[in-house]
Amino acid sequence: MSPIQNTPGGLRWMPLDNAAKIYPASRSRKWSNVFRLSVSLTEPVDTAVLRSALDVTVPRFPSIAARLRRGLFWYYLQQLEHSPELREESSYPLTPMSKEEVRRCALRVIVYQNRVSLEIFHSITDGNGALIFLKTLLAEYLQQKYGLAIPAEHGVLDRREEPREEELEDSFPKYAGPVQASRKGTNAFRMSGTPEPDGFLNVTCLELPVAEVLSKAHEYGISLTAFLCAAMMMAIQNLQAEQVPEVRRRRPVKVLLPVNLRPMFPSGTLRNFVLYTTPEIDPRLGAYSFPEICRVVQHKMGMEVNPKFMSTLIAANVSSEQIPVVKVMPLFVKNAVMKAVFRAVGERKSCMTLSNLGAVKLPRAMEPYVERFDFILGIQATAPYNCGVISWGDTLYINIIRNIREPELEYHLHCVLRDMGLTATVRSNKGRRS
Amino acid sequence: MYCINCGVKLADTEKKCPLCGVTACHPYIKQEEEVPLFPGQRYPTPQLPPRTAQIIITTLFLLPIFITLLCDLQINGAVVWSGYVVGALGMAYAIFVLPYWFRRPHSVAFTALSFMAIGLYVFYINQASGGDWFLTFALPVVGYVGTVVTAVAALLHRLRRGRLYIFGGAFLALGAFMPLMEYLIVATFCRPRFVGWSLYPMTALLLLGAMLIFLALNQPARERMERKFFL
Repeated sequence: MSPIQNTPGGLRWMPLDNAAKIYPASRSRKWSNVFRLSVSLTEPVDTAVLRSALDVTVPRFPSIAARLRRGLFWYYLQQLEHSPELREESSYPLTPMSKEEVRRCALRVIVYQNRVSLEIFHSITDGNGALIFLKTLLAEYLQQKYGLAIPAEHGVLDRREEPREEELEDSFPKYAGPVQASRKGTNAFRMSGTPEPDGFLNVTCLELPVAEVLSKAHEYGISLTAFLCAAMMMAIQNLQAEQVPEVRRRRPVKVLLPVNLRPMFPSGTLRNFVLYTTPEIDPRLGAYSFPEICRVVQHKMGMEVNPKFMSTLIAANVSSEQIPVVKVMPLFVKNAVMKAVFRAVGERKSCMTLSNLGAVKLPRAMEPYVERFDFILGIQATAPYNCGVISWGDTLYINIIRNIREPELEYHLHCVLRDMGLTATVRSNKGRRS
Repeated sequence: MYCINCGVKLADTEKKCPLCGVTACHPYIKQEEEVPLFPGQRYPTPQLPPRTAQIIITTLFLLPIFITLLCDLQINGAVVWSGYVVGALGMAYAIFVLPYWFRRPHSVAFTALSFMAIGLYVFYINQASGGDWFLTFALPVVGYVGTVVTAVAALLHRLRRGRLYIFGGAFLALGAFMPLMEYLIVATFCRPRFVGWSLYPMTALLLLGAMLIFLALNQPARERMERKFFL
């Protein structure tokens, strides 16, 4: 049986991909794994045109414009019959998606002034899949609004063509290696602070000139992602040194870096196809200098970010879902077990996630209409911070989200960057509130 | 504009520095009005907690009530002994489960309600067993203790400080009530085997209350106790 089926009504349904299975099990009333991608235009958004553009775009992406349904043994995705309603912006992003909401539609489209935002439950797709959806939606919007002729390139898909099977496939089982990687690892330092009341989430956006950051990264002989990861690790190290004066009591500083697998394996999937690497330093061995951290990150990435190692990680993840006993276990039992494992192990192995979607490229005709892009990750279930990075044009946007009051990590990151001569412009969602 | 404290460059939307909280100000630069990153004061509606747990617990309470009533009616043809079980379960439900149906249960109201439930149950026992001790013993005791505990809950709810005074006062009030309680027992049930027992709990409660008041008044002693007993 093909994994992607058509229902009698012509709506597609498909089992969740390997990486997506943990998200519905681990979600709770107060937390669900949701991320946001936004594009800000040079003019206010015309909601009528956007609605019409959504109506055209949604059928092209049956795996993204989808709802999450329960089977007896597994969850599955079902294509939406209609486009989702446009929503108004709130004073903070990424409120948890309730079970009912995910069952109705696992995708939010939010409009605020000149910004269109997508908030997506992570079971549906990863940042790269969501970016393709957003670019295609934007292309359709600009085409309808200004009559532009936009070619299907740089991640913009042709809205009139049928979705290809490879876009809807779960690519993980295809590329599982013969050897399974070990999941062992030390627990990381847990940042903490005063929780915000009523689940308020603080977003702080640091904006930096890409060229300057890139040239600084090249000074240390590393990529931009590795440089940002090193800067974040340095900031966490400094924060821990401030909060935990006794060196023996300090915990390893680890930052989880998602790795897009599409450039490594020939896959055109629009579903989750991402794994991770976790560079780490142990401050009990003494304070690391910035060049030392850069070397650690560079070597860790060099060792792990390659098809061979990633295939061992895929194999470890895929093998557990293919055990016959696990397959026939009812969904509620699987959920209970996965939730328990997630709570016990899940996020203890890193301090935070730093996800870099890279430089956004658009067809030339679209460029004059776009002001900026933003990528915001939801907070982790138990740790207060997360960080999403994206760059558009000359600017790098580092969006740090937290559910605590104290902006200490942001402050330390600013200090690390400032000491290297990188001046960030900062904006937040607290401006008019406090 | 730059933050005068931490030196970060602030976007025009920022009235305060997002990193250190210092108000953004410059005598010569007027901040332009820019669209804020997110609209202020538009908070999403919080999700209501699921009521599944409350429904399950209520069912668990209702099940024995139903079975007990059924058995009693089958055996005796009337409510004979099942009333005690139903009353006890009803009282426990009012005290322990009822507050969880509310999103923000009012601690003072529910404390008073708990003592009213206890009073009602005791009244039922008195009536069902044909006793005449409710008015002369149970009502004054439950009423007095209920008033003291509700007053403590109300003061804790209203005042942020002075917990030592509140608890000290409560212990003193309960200690002072002990001889009266002994008198009520003697007057209601007669022929006590040992008169004067109330002096012991009274002395303990008064000493405890006096000690708490002393600690509230004496800061060095309070700090010393904190050092000795911190967790």
